Amino acid sequence: MKSAEGRGRTLDEAVDAALIELGESRRNVDVRVISEGHEETVVEVSVIDLTAAPAVAAGAQGNGKADVARSLVEGLLKLMGVRAQVTVRTGTDPITLDISGRDLGALIGWRGETLRALQSVTNVMVGKHLAEGERVIVDVERYRQRREHTVREIALRAARQVKMTGDAITLDAMQAFERRAIHLALQDDPDVGSSSIGEEPDRRVVVGPRKPANG
Amino acid sequence: MPGRAAAERIRKAIALVNEVADGAGDEEITPTEIAEAIRDCLELKEIEQGSNVRKYLGEALDAVSDGMPADFVAMTLYAALGALGESRPEL
Repeated sequence: MKSAEGRGRTLDEAVDAALIELGESRRNVDVRVISEGHEETVVEVSVIDLTAAPAVAAGAQGNGKADVARSLVEGLLKLMGVRAQVTVRTGTDPITLDISGRDLGALIGWRGETLRALQSVTNVMVGKHLAEGERVIVDVERYRQRREHTVREIALRAARQVKMTGDAITLDAMQAFERRAIHLALQDDPDVGSSSIGEEPDRRVVVGPRKPANG
Repeated sequence: MPGRAAAERIRKAIALVNEVADGAGDEEITPTEIAEAIRDCLELKEIEQGSNVRKYLGEALDAVSDGMPADFVAMTLYAALGALGESRPEL
């Protein structure tokens, strides 16, 4: 997988530096933050290997569940009149299906609502092939992955600000999977923690200083 | 806008169900809370504007009380939202 290291004063600058080196757009890459400080941020940017996905889908015959899920979603999209390719993402748990094609914005919908509905339908269709608690994640043009990445960036920025000011920050209302991405991003931070407040659909994450342990 | 309130209530119920489905882990959602959110939707007169909205909400409520999987409940609520949207395209 092609990747490059990027450095900059901010996260955006570091990512941009790596993208220039790779000659890629943000849409086609995964970003991993290596270090983030006041002076410099270092990231590793990897190009998503879209050509690898079909090979894995074909090779996923050992993973019958993923293959069944892929076939069912392909059939559903055909009935919807949507021309798109469905592949199984490599090395992911839970099973993740990537839908790619042209002009798939309608499959994503307002704030990902249609995508989420598609995922619910997929899990109902595939449910009998899955073990209890097992789920299938559906992604369209890596929307979900990019959104998770974005909220992780937001979390890290908020954490940095909390460390500088000592004040808690309340983020915008987010969906459950986005809030979880923030909790996971900050779970190992010794100084900053996160919690959720409010009621759905306006539930928000608060990023604030961790309370010192008693004693 | 009157229809917006119904859409918001249905979206609230969907968000609760999705939180259960995702196992987000930052709030304990009980079936009672989901059922209450669906009943809140059923109380609105606006839902009569969409031909099948009440029917789908009723099915979702039955699914919750029958202990059906969260995805099934979510799918039925999305159907209600879709039916409401068909009657009010601006939603």
